[in-house]
Amino acid sequence: MSHTVYIPSRIQISFFTVLTGLLLTGCGVNNIPTYDENAKAKWSDVQNQYQRRADLIPNLVETVKGYATQEREVLTQVTEARAKASQIKVDASTVTDPAKFKEYLDAQNALTGALGRLLVTVERYPDLKSNQNFLALQSQLEGTENRISVARRDYIDSVRAYNTELKTFPGLIWASTLYRSYKPMETFTVAEDVTKPPTVKF
Amino acid sequence: MRCRSRALLARAIFGLLLCVAAFAGYALTFPELTGRVVDDAGVLDASTKAALERKLAEFETNTTGQLVVVTLKSLEGTSIEDYGYQLGRHWQIGQKEKNTGALLIVAPNERKVRIEVGYGFEGTLTDAVSKLIIENSIIPRFRANDFAGGIGRGVDDIIQAVSVDSDEWKARAKQRPDDQPGLVDLLALLFFLFIFIMIVRSVARQGRGYAQAGAGRRRGARGPVFLPIPGSRGSSGSSWSSGFPGGGGFSGGGGSFGGGGASGGW
Repeated sequence: MSHTVYIPSRIQISFFTVLTGLLLTGCGVNNIPTYDENAKAKWSDVQNQYQRRADLIPNLVETVKGYATQEREVLTQVTEARAKASQIKVDASTVTDPAKFKEYLDAQNALTGALGRLLVTVERYPDLKSNQNFLALQSQLEGTENRISVARRDYIDSVRAYNTELKTFPGLIWASTLYRSYKPMETFTVAEDVTKPPTVKF
Repeated sequence: MRCRSRALLARAIFGLLLCVAAFAGYALTFPELTGRVVDDAGVLDASTKAALERKLAEFETNTTGQLVVVTLKSLEGTSIEDYGYQLGRHWQIGQKEKNTGALLIVAPNERKVRIEVGYGFEGTLTDAVSKLIIENSIIPRFRANDFAGGIGRGVDDIIQAVSVDSDEWKARAKQRPDDQPGLVDLLALLFFLFIFIMIVRSVARQGRGYAQAGAGRRRGARGPVFLPIPGSRGSSGSSWSSGFPGGGGFSGGGGSFGGGGASGGW
């Protein structure tokens, strides 16, 4: 026994492989992909809510048209802003492309602005304001704006976790070895997030 | 040297304090979830509160959804929309998988009211329906300072709105009579622990076998075995306490909120 060379058996090797796997999991080897998936899911939430808003607009424009024919200019602005925002194709890769991300956000912000102006204009039409259809649309629009802001904040939080993981130890090691294709994600700037959605008084 | 390290320490402590201060400044404080009616602002009398509690408990037994009424002393400077979804997430109202929870939030001092709708109820208790309930049932009564009446009527309307398909809910609840996530989680944990112990034991035993039989190779080598760990980050915790409606204490079931619902002021 004493003069034999120590050769680890397969069982021992596999045991240590398991152990190493568990230890690596403890070191956060899975963190980057996990955070990446999470942030992408939050991004699709943001996209969904913007899409939902875009879907509501044609109905809103039609309803307003029936009451406020002379407000053609504001209505056209809203329609154009919506068309522009819808033209931009976005997917999960948009978040790592600063130019594309900014383009998408600028278009959505322009739409937010146009919608805000429309809702202010509407204040001048009491008949429209008491229209049931309009009230329902308006509450849906408000709800959507609120969902957008919640989705944006959730996205900011998840991107913060992801980007921090890429830049801090031990994620830094994995980012420079195993996960080189993972890039930092774009996020909303604070100034944008502070901007309140248009609020409407009844 | 010493002086330098002390300065460094002081700076580190200062940084830490700054972090704590920033965190404290950002986070909202939420009232404790003492029951299905949390009357923090004190606008409801005891009998109304008890009646509401009963109604809400019955609602949960019938539909497995959770509905909570809360009155707030203060919105802490933020909007009721912002406070509302964070409170819903904090309390985790609604069932974990279905997110069927809703809050009726009243802030008498700010004269604001909101129906905060969990993801699972967004299909039935839509923004438009919530707005109608607020404008038609709640606000007229609040204007007359009748908080009990407004809240009572609001709760009735919410229950009606989400109970449109209550029969379907009941059928689903019957199909899985012992759907208790707490128990399932526990069993899963025990199961994986059992497997882990078995693997460790078998490896130890086979190792001994090898020592006796020399370096003889056996059939197929075992590859790496990765053990999944149930209930990953932050998802288990709350579910342990759910699944026992009406059992004395009340707690959220792990539901989440995404800003659905509507608000109003009076």
